[in-house]
Amino acid sequence: MGNADLRALAALSDVAWADIEGSVVAVDAHNWLYRYLTTTVKWTRDEIYTTEGGEEVANLVGVVQGLPKFFEHDLTPVFVFDGGVTELKSAEVAERREKRERAEERLAEARERGDQVEAARLSARTQRLTDVILETTHGLLDLLDVPVIEAPAEGEAQAAHMARVGDVDYAGSEDYDTLLFGAPLTLRQLTSKGAPELMDLDATLDRHDLTLEQLVDVAILCGTDFNSGVSGVGPKTALSAIKEHGDLWAAMEANDWHVENADRIRELFRDPPVTDDYALDLDLNPDLDAARDYVTDEWEVDADEVERGFERIEASVVQTGLDRWT
Amino acid sequence: MFKAIVSASTLRDALDAVSVLVDECKIRLNEDGLAIRAVDPANVGMVDLALDVAAFESYEADGGVIGVNLARLEDIAGMANSGDLVHLELDEETRKLHIRIDGLSYTLALIDPDSIRQEPDIPDLDLPAEIVVEGNQLDRGITAADMVSDHIRLRVDEASETFHIEAEGDTDDVDLEVGREDLIDLQAGPADSLFSLDYLKDMNKAIPGDAEVTVELGEEFPVKLHYEFAEGMGNVTFMLAPRIQSD
Repeated sequence: MGNADLRALAALSDVAWADIEGSVVAVDAHNWLYRYLTTTVKWTRDEIYTTEGGEEVANLVGVVQGLPKFFEHDLTPVFVFDGGVTELKSAEVAERREKRERAEERLAEARERGDQVEAARLSARTQRLTDVILETTHGLLDLLDVPVIEAPAEGEAQAAHMARVGDVDYAGSEDYDTLLFGAPLTLRQLTSKGAPELMDLDATLDRHDLTLEQLVDVAILCGTDFNSGVSGVGPKTALSAIKEHGDLWAAMEANDWHVENADRIRELFRDPPVTDDYALDLDLNPDLDAARDYVTDEWEVDADEVERGFERIEASVVQTGLDRWT
Repeated sequence: MFKAIVSASTLRDALDAVSVLVDECKIRLNEDGLAIRAVDPANVGMVDLALDVAAFESYEADGGVIGVNLARLEDIAGMANSGDLVHLELDEETRKLHIRIDGLSYTLALIDPDSIRQEPDIPDLDLPAEIVVEGNQLDRGITAADMVSDHIRLRVDEASETFHIEAEGDTDDVDLEVGREDLIDLQAGPADSLFSLDYLKDMNKAIPGDAEVTVELGEEFPVKLHYEFAEGMGNVTFMLAPRIQSD
């Protein structure tokens, strides 16, 4: 969606690392990895993260460089992967490829049927990361003992759900959709330097005097991941229309607007497929030697590229208090 | 009883050193001057400040304690030009502080000292290395480190007798090496500790650029930063707990 549109509406503030130390964050894994791949990692040479067989495994560099940030600030990440294209870690590559092909078939079918909502959902989940990237990311996270959860569908919906029921303290995403999925608190900018940004759902709703349902309606009018929105309608117009008319249907009728599949999109945000069937082991015991071997031997990543990250994970320094010396 | 006259710049320098760590503090109105000791809520950074009676134009006190909101007091002090004198007088009856600056009168409601976090015990530290460096040098290292990381490493290389301010970021590194010739003094010893830049940046803000800063350092020990202000009549010691390897 227009991230800029939601940014304009969201209540955002900077938060100090010290204030969030010790908390647990459900990270939208695809979103996090994708950001890492497109920003940090792509600046280095291609051959560093391409195996002799030509498989691109830049993700391994991304994971090793990105994780220290969590550990150094005593944050426990839980990586939530999009469902539908991947299966739990044990699955074989072939099986995964098959699933991916099936998802692509479903995508083609959806396009043929003219089912734009399903097509948008599937394409968001298939396009960004290759099978090998997903498989190796799972493999590495497993060795590092970082909890991984497979969402039934959208990862950010699952992350938002876990924050809402209180199994984690924050959802973590660079996008803004966790707000629409009802995450009370979302941490942004977990892939960039400096302190993260806190996105607060209640403060957002208070600021605009909206319910969550109405916020979703505003977003649908502006356009989301699943629809393109009403032409010429931005956050201000959408906000005042929903406030004036109460909900999406009344606002569309009054303004003679049309959004294809509005009811289904609304349902996707209000009641997305999520699962409560997971166990979180937050006591992490990474096997760093095995992780190093996995990255540098098995997947042929240049050791120099990841050594720094491994050292930082190893050091995983924590802040002490002065009372320790009194 | 408390009645004092002090230059606005001296008062501001004193308040700045404390307000970087806490919002409220207790001020001890001792016979020989003012004393403030405070620690931030996370117990990571501490300040120990003394302003000697000689720093004041006039000073009378008998050992009471007041609690102040630092932001308020700083705002008031900010109304003065640096040459102005600030008159302070405590009204024991109403528990208010009367402040006068060049015709401007301000009555500041005080905070019950018992409601303010207890003054901390000063850690007992015997640190092996001591570096005396100009405030500007320290500022340079901290500013550079801040470009790449959230943490900063302070270290002494005993063999080459150099002081290092280092930072390692996701992709970039910074290392400021200061040799003996650029230091005011160096007593080399085993010293290598990592600190949160958030804290050190704030402390650094309070340190005047031309101050001589005495940095006491150890291996995975808190750092002590000591400097003088008000022409040597004011003394500040910051202490900052390190980040260390987790078990």
